[in-house]
Amino acid sequence: MLATSLRTLRRGAFIATALAAGSFAGAALAAKVAVITPYLAQPGTQFYVEAFQAVAKDKGWEVNVIDTQGDVAGVISRIEDMVNQKVDAIVINVDPAQVTAGLQAAKDANIPVFGMDAGSDPLLVTNVTSNGYAMAAETSTYVADRIGGKGNVVMFVFDAFPPVQARGVVASAVFGNFPDIKILDKVTPDVSDGGIADSRAKMEAILAANPTAGSISAVWAGWDQPALGALQAIEAAGRQNEGIVITGIDANPQARAEIAKGGNFEASVAQDFKGIGSATADAVARVLGGETLKQHVIYVPTKLVTAANAAQ
Amino acid sequence: MTLLSLEHISKAYAGVPALRDATLSIAAGEIHALMGENGAGKSTLIKILAGVVAPDTASIRIDGSEVGIDSPATAYRLGFRFIHQELNVVPALSVAENIFLGRAYPLRAGVLIDWARLNRVAGDALRKLGIGHIDPGERMARLSLGDQMLVRISSAFLSEAGAPARLYVMDEPTAALTREESARLFAVLREIRASGNSVLYVSHRLDEVMALCDKATVLRDGRTIDTGRIADITHDDLVALMIGRRVEEAYPRPITAPSSEIALAVEGVAGEGLAATSFSVRKGEILGIAGLSGSGQRHLLRLLSGDLPVKTGRLLLDGRPHRPRGPAASWSAGVAYVPRERRSEGLVVSRPIYQNITLPHLGTQSLGGTWLTPRRERRFAVQMGNDVKLRAVGPNQRALELSGGNQQKVVFAKALSGAPRLLLLDEPTRGVDIGAKFDIYSIIRDMAAKGMAVILVSSDLAELLGMCDRIAIMRDGAITEIADAAGLAEDDLLNRCYGRNPSTAEAA
Amino acid sequence: MLNFARRYGTLIGFVLILVLFSARLPDTFMTARNWLNITQQLSMLMVVAAGMTIVMVMGDFDLSVGSMASLSGIVAALLFTLGYPIWLALGLALLVGLAGGLFNGVLVALTGILPFVATLATLTMFSGAAFVVSGGKTISGRAIPEAFGNFARDGVALGPVTLPNLTILAAVVVLVVFVLLEQTTFGRRLYAIGGNIEAAHLSGVKVRRLKLIAYALTGFAAALGGLMYASRVASANPTQGSGLMLNAIAAVFLGMTMSEQGEPRILATVIGVLIIGVLDNGLTQMSVDSYVRQILVGAIIVLAVAASSISKSSRR
Repeated sequence: MLATSLRTLRRGAFIATALAAGSFAGAALAAKVAVITPYLAQPGTQFYVEAFQAVAKDKGWEVNVIDTQGDVAGVISRIEDMVNQKVDAIVINVDPAQVTAGLQAAKDANIPVFGMDAGSDPLLVTNVTSNGYAMAAETSTYVADRIGGKGNVVMFVFDAFPPVQARGVVASAVFGNFPDIKILDKVTPDVSDGGIADSRAKMEAILAANPTAGSISAVWAGWDQPALGALQAIEAAGRQNEGIVITGIDANPQARAEIAKGGNFEASVAQDFKGIGSATADAVARVLGGETLKQHVIYVPTKLVTAANAAQ
Repeated sequence: MTLLSLEHISKAYAGVPALRDATLSIAAGEIHALMGENGAGKSTLIKILAGVVAPDTASIRIDGSEVGIDSPATAYRLGFRFIHQELNVVPALSVAENIFLGRAYPLRAGVLIDWARLNRVAGDALRKLGIGHIDPGERMARLSLGDQMLVRISSAFLSEAGAPARLYVMDEPTAALTREESARLFAVLREIRASGNSVLYVSHRLDEVMALCDKATVLRDGRTIDTGRIADITHDDLVALMIGRRVEEAYPRPITAPSSEIALAVEGVAGEGLAATSFSVRKGEILGIAGLSGSGQRHLLRLLSGDLPVKTGRLLLDGRPHRPRGPAASWSAGVAYVPRERRSEGLVVSRPIYQNITLPHLGTQSLGGTWLTPRRERRFAVQMGNDVKLRAVGPNQRALELSGGNQQKVVFAKALSGAPRLLLLDEPTRGVDIGAKFDIYSIIRDMAAKGMAVILVSSDLAELLGMCDRIAIMRDGAITEIADAAGLAEDDLLNRCYGRNPSTAEAA
Repeated sequence: MLNFARRYGTLIGFVLILVLFSARLPDTFMTARNWLNITQQLSMLMVVAAGMTIVMVMGDFDLSVGSMASLSGIVAALLFTLGYPIWLALGLALLVGLAGGLFNGVLVALTGILPFVATLATLTMFSGAAFVVSGGKTISGRAIPEAFGNFARDGVALGPVTLPNLTILAAVVVLVVFVLLEQTTFGRRLYAIGGNIEAAHLSGVKVRRLKLIAYALTGFAAALGGLMYASRVASANPTQGSGLMLNAIAAVFLGMTMSEQGEPRILATVIGVLIIGVLDNGLTQMSVDSYVRQILVGAIIVLAVAASSISKSSRR
C-alpha cells in the first residue's frame, strides 16, 4: 500500500496528495533498493557500494547488495527477481547492453534502474560515472604545461575499448592545439598480459629509434599500465634524467607508488569511486523524491594525482 | 573339551530371521565343518563370532565361561582368526604389508617401520603354510589370484604375543586355490588341530569337508539341523541334510548324444596368453577344459567371446569363418559367454533382472534396434527366468538382491536368450549352492540336447567328469590333450593336468 | 523409515524449501510470473546439466562444459561480426560443441585418460581457445544481431502468460534427453556401462563408441547452453560460461541422491537444477546475502548426498 503510494509519487502524479501521504507515514516508510553487480570482488566496486550504502543508511533505505560473481546472465535473473519483489529502485554496475532483458522487465514494471559506472543506455534513468574526457584533458594539459608547450610526445592509446578511445581523442585534440608539440608515435600495446610488458617493449623500441637526449619530451598514456611500462623502459635505458614526463590515468596503487617517488612518472588521474557511489545514491533519492532527471549521464569530478598528493 | 559353545543364537534383519535359535559347539583340537546352502545363516553366524554383527539373542561360552563379542577387537582378543571368502587385499602394497594389514607394523626406535623384520615375520607366516615361492617384498598385484588368497590366509597365522590364536574361522578358503595349494592349506589345518587349536571350516566342496573335517554342523533356514561326526555320515546324507531332500544324483544324465556336425572349429588359433591351438566342438557336445589355474582357460574363452583378438589361425562357426572384433560381434554370431566372476563380469547388479537378461540382445529386443519395449522385455525375461528355474520376486527385482545361485541363473538366462549355438562357461557353479548347482547342470544338459555346443571351464574335476563328453587339458596356454570323459577317473584327470600322463609324455 | 528418508529426503527438502518461500514471500513467490522467471533463469543451466547427465550416467563426468559454453558463445559472436547469417553462425558454434565433446570422448574412450584429467585439460584448452578467438574481449553491442538478443527476451504467448523461448528450448532438451536415456537402447546401454563397465562390455555393449557419442552430446548441450547464455546477455565473453560447470555437476549429484541406486536420472536432474535455481531466486527475494546463499547451496548438497550415503553405510 505504502509502496504503491510511493510509486504514484515517483510518477509525479498527484504530487501534493502523495507528499501528504508520505509525510503521514514517513517514519515507517523504507524504500527498497537493490544493488546488483557481477564485480563486487573488485576494489573499485567495493568503494562505490560502501559509499552508496552510507548514503542509503542516512535515508533509511533497505539496501540489498547482490553479487553474481562474474555471471552477467545472473544479473538479469536477479533484476527479474527484484522486479518481482517490486523494489523501488535498482542500481547496476555492469554493461547495460548485456542485461537489456532485465532492464526491459524493470521498465515494464515502472521500476527505475540506475547505472553506477555502468555505461549509457536508454533503459537507464541515468548513469553516474567519471568524465573520461575530463580525465584525458587533465593529464594532457599537465603534459603540455610541463614541457612548455613544446616537444615530442609518445601516446599510448587503445581504440578498441570505447572509454579509453575517448581519452585518446581528447588528448590528441589538446596536443593538436599546441603548434610546437609533435606526436612522435601513437602506440596500441598488446594488453593480453596486463599491458605493462608489451608497453615496455614498444617504448624500448621508440627509445632506440630516438637516441638523443631531449628527442622525447613526454609519454602520455590512456591508462596506468602503459605509463608503468614506459617508465620501466626509460629507467632500463638509463635515460631517467632526460626529464621525460610520463602521465597515466586511473591512479592505481602501483602508479601512485611511482608518482610518490618523484621520478619520471609525474601524474595520473584518480576516479572518485566513493563520489560515484554517493552521487548514485543521490540520484536515486532525487528520483524517489519525484524528480525527473534531465541528465542521462551524471559526471563525478576526478582528481589529478601528483607527487604532492600521491600518498593520500 | 569344549572350546566354544554357541546357544540360542538368533538374529533378524529388518524382521527377516537369518538365525533362529541356532547352536554350535566346537571342541578343542577339532576341525569343524559348518555346512548349509547359501542363505542358511552361515555368514551371519560367522559375523556374530567376528563381532561384526550383534545377535538378537545369544549365549556364547569359551572354555565354559560366558563371553560377549561386541567388536572385532574383542573377537581377536578371544583368539578368533578369520579368513573371509572375499579377497580383501590391497594390490598396491607388498605381500608382507598385506599380511600385516590391520595389525601394528614392527617398529624401530618407536617410529620407523622395521621393514626387514616386517618381511621376516611375514616370511615366517608364509612358511608356516609351506609357501616358499612367494617373496614377502613382492607387490601383491603381481601375484596370481591363488597366491593372493594364500597370502591372505597366512596373515591369520601371524604369530603375535598377547592374544594367542585358538580358533581359525575359514569361509570358503579354497575357492580360488588350486588342488596343490589347497592340499598345503589342509596340511596346516591338520597341524593346528594337532596343536590343540580348532578350525571352523565353511565350504561348499563336500569332498573337502569329508576328507578334512572331524565334525559337521548343518544349518538350514537359520536353524541348526544336525551336528555329527563326519565318520558317521555319508556324502549323500550331508547333502540331504543341507537341502532338506535327497538328490538322487549330483549330475543329470545326458539327454541325447552329441551330433556329428561340427559347431566350432578352432584352427591353429593363437592370441594373448594362448599358444596355437586346434580343436573342435560338435553340436550338442559339452567339451570340458581342465587345467591348473592360470593355464590359459580364461584366455581361450575370452578369445572365443571376442574380448581378446585372434592373432593367428581361424575360427569356424558352423563352417563359416568367425573373426569377432569384440564381444558384440560374438553375441550376434550366436556365441554366449558366462564369465567367471558373476558380480563383476556377468551382471550389472544395480539394474533389474530383465535388463540384465536382454542387455546383449537389445538389438532384437527393441523396435528397430532403437526404441525400448520394456513390457515385452519383461515378458521375455519372465519366460527365460522360468526356463532356468529362477527364483525372484519379479523381472523388476534388482540382481543384487538375489542369492548367488539365482544371480548365476540370471547370467544363464541372459546367455541363453539369443538361442546361441555356442555357450562358453567359465566356472559356472562357483560359489553356487547345491540345489542351484543341479538346476544349472540341468540347464546345460537341456541346451546341449537342443544342439548347442558347450565349452565348460572348471576347476572342479568331478563336475567336468560328471558333465562333459570330452575333456581338453590345458597347460601353459596350450591344449595338451583331449580325452573322452567316459572312463576317466578324477585322479587320472588330475595327473594329466600336472602333465604326468605317460601316454602324453611327449606333450608334457 | 530410513530408506524412505534416503530415497525421498532430497525431494522432501525441495518441498520444504518451496513451502518456506511461499510463506515468507506470499505475494511474489508462488506466482506464474515468478515461475516463468525461474524457468527462464535456469534454462541454460538446465541444458548444460541435461548434457552432463548423459556422461554421468556412464559414471564419467565432463569438467569442460563451462568453457565449452563460453567458447560456443564466442564463436557465434565472432561469426556474427564477420557477417555470417545467424543460422550459420549458430550451426557452426554448435558444431564446435559437438567436435569438442567428441574430442573429450576420444581422450577418454580411445586414449583411456581418466575423465577428470582429460576434461580438466580440455577445460583449459577450450577456455584458452575462447580467449584466442575473442582476443580476451567481450563481444557485444552492434556486433550482435538484434534478432539473436531478442530471442532470449521473446516467448510464445499462451493465453495470459508468455512462455519464454529459453524455457521452451530447455524443456525440449530435457524431453530429448529423457527419451534418449529412458526410452532407447542407447540410454539402456549407457546405464549398463555406468552400473558395471566390464559386464556391459562382455555383454556386447560397444563401450568405446557409446562413450564417444555420449561425450559429443554433452559437448553439444554445453554449446547450446552457451548460445542461450549469449542470447540472454546479447553478448559473448570468454569466461561467461565458467559458472555453469560446477552448478551442472551439483544439480546431477542432487538428482542422484533421489534414485535408489544413486544413478543419475534426467528428471531428478531437473529437480536438482530447480533446487539450485529456486534457492537463488527465493533467497534473493528474501534479501539474503549472496555469499550466504552460496554456503546454503553447498550445505544442501552435502546434506542431501550425506543423508543418502549415511543410510547406505548403516545398512551394512
